[in-house]
Amino acid sequence: MLSQIIVNGLLAGLVYTIMALGFTLVFGIMRVVNFAHGEFYMAGAMAVLLFYGHLGWPFFAAVAAGGVVSALIGLVVERALLRPLLKEEMPGMIMTLAVAITMQSAALLIVGPSEQGIPRPFGGTWMLLDARVPWDRTVVALCALVIITAFYGFLKFTPVGLAMQAVAQDRETASLMGIESKRIYVVAFGLSCLLAGLAGALMAPIYPIGPYMGEIVIIKAFVIVILGGLGSVPGAMLGGLLIGLCESAVATMFNPTAALIASFGIVLGIIIFRPTGLMGRAVR
Amino acid sequence: MKTRYVVAAVALLAVVPWILDNRYFFHIATMATIMIPMATSMNLMLKIGQLPLSHGAFMGLGSYGAALLTMRLGVPPVLSLLAGGLIAAAIAGMFGPIFLRIKGTYFVLLTFAFGEIVNLIMQDWISLTGGNSGLYGIPKFAILGFRLTAIRDYYAMGLVFTALSFGLLWAIERSDIGAIFQSINENEMVTRSLGGNAMAWRVAAFVLSSFIAGIAGGVYAFYIGLLTPDAFGMRTIVDLIVMNTIGGPASIVGPMLGAILIVPLPELLREARQYQLLIYGISLGVFLIFFRQGLVGLLRLDKPGDKT
Repeated sequence: MLSQIIVNGLLAGLVYTIMALGFTLVFGIMRVVNFAHGEFYMAGAMAVLLFYGHLGWPFFAAVAAGGVVSALIGLVVERALLRPLLKEEMPGMIMTLAVAITMQSAALLIVGPSEQGIPRPFGGTWMLLDARVPWDRTVVALCALVIITAFYGFLKFTPVGLAMQAVAQDRETASLMGIESKRIYVVAFGLSCLLAGLAGALMAPIYPIGPYMGEIVIIKAFVIVILGGLGSVPGAMLGGLLIGLCESAVATMFNPTAALIASFGIVLGIIIFRPTGLMGRAVR
Repeated sequence: MKTRYVVAAVALLAVVPWILDNRYFFHIATMATIMIPMATSMNLMLKIGQLPLSHGAFMGLGSYGAALLTMRLGVPPVLSLLAGGLIAAAIAGMFGPIFLRIKGTYFVLLTFAFGEIVNLIMQDWISLTGGNSGLYGIPKFAILGFRLTAIRDYYAMGLVFTALSFGLLWAIERSDIGAIFQSINENEMVTRSLGGNAMAWRVAAFVLSSFIAGIAGGVYAFYIGLLTPDAFGMRTIVDLIVMNTIGGPASIVGPMLGAILIVPLPELLREARQYQLLIYGISLGVFLIFFRQGLVGLLRLDKPGDKT
């Protein structure tokens, strides 16, 4: 029972982490709250529905395509809609909300309101201690681990990644060092949408695919980033796993709504006692 | 143009339903008298630089609160209506200091999560709320022994509510308190150095705005007679944001004009309902990039703070 809860929690937590990473990256660098983050997740899943479900591509090719499609939409959105509103928090926020409802209704018009499923690429289960682990979830978790590691390596060891961290820390000083923040914004937003698209693509065989599938995921991403500290990458990782575990425990004992309430309660407690989140830095 | 001319024009417009005396028109007008207070009370929060994504949830709390008090406990509707507003205000007062503890983005994320959770509870607590199949059999509103049965009675009730809430919010906007709110948004440090307790003012704005949302919910409950959780979810929030953005968030007249413009849309677009959100999304984008000040800017209305 306990090991099953932990396994389920970690499996879910890894996907939440990918979502939270992209969200916190955009906030940390651009100071934009991306309400459309869940819709980029949806776009990734829709791409898998098309490429894997209808066109019969290999699953992993479809997942990669899902990430790319989502990232491309993200690049257009950043350039055309968010760039004119940079530095203005409220209009920027409302713009991402507008992007979210536009993407949702576009999906609604294209595929219709009903949820669809695709055949599972991996079947069966295996045992870890006394926990039953489905193979398809295992594959998702392994891919998630690879993605998170790659992302972390990118941020720590590549020049672009280091430049992103510099912009997140201090935009003006970074620009004095010759880092053009606008180009970093493009990379950050595209990368964030790539992560969301990959997460949605990976989850496509597991959850039903529909225009509104991003809504519940984004609440979890919000809760995680507040718990971990807005803008903090290690915080998003820690928060993702913690929320996954907490949810798995409460959902096993009660129901998913109770799980969401419990994680919200934890977040409120964190704000009272440690306002910047577990790993956040002080707000200037 | 003087703001008061626009307000006078809207007041004249309020008479039109009685002249046309058409049931369908009365319905749209009544919904407008519920949504104008919703949009203008959301505007109060926008003025202090916060986007309350919990606004629909507070409307729902007032709505279910008022309906259940009358249905289950037999409380007279007038008291239930007031209690619904007070419930919303009390919950806002309880969570406000936590939501507003950190400046900026945290509020919007927390109120979003709060709103979604309140909505999930309304859907899941079926024994209390009836869940997604709805809460039926809400009695008609009654005041001083007079039962409101016809739609025009509810329109009158909505008008009184709109007039009271608009009067209050307009007075606040033009008073010293309005100036304090504006200064909290623009430069909190200066406000605090002048002795203003920024946190207390923010919580006060949140409580008042949620109180009005709660009352709006109660009016809605007694008028519609059937409550479902989706009436208080993200769709309503999007409507309210569209009203504020298209009307222009700088003055309270903006969201009022926005509400008058947006409320009839779902009825007019009935054939093309699936395009409604698409139209909202695109028009939000257009207004944000090209007409940031909304209709208020286009009409060149004077803004609070302008000396006229």
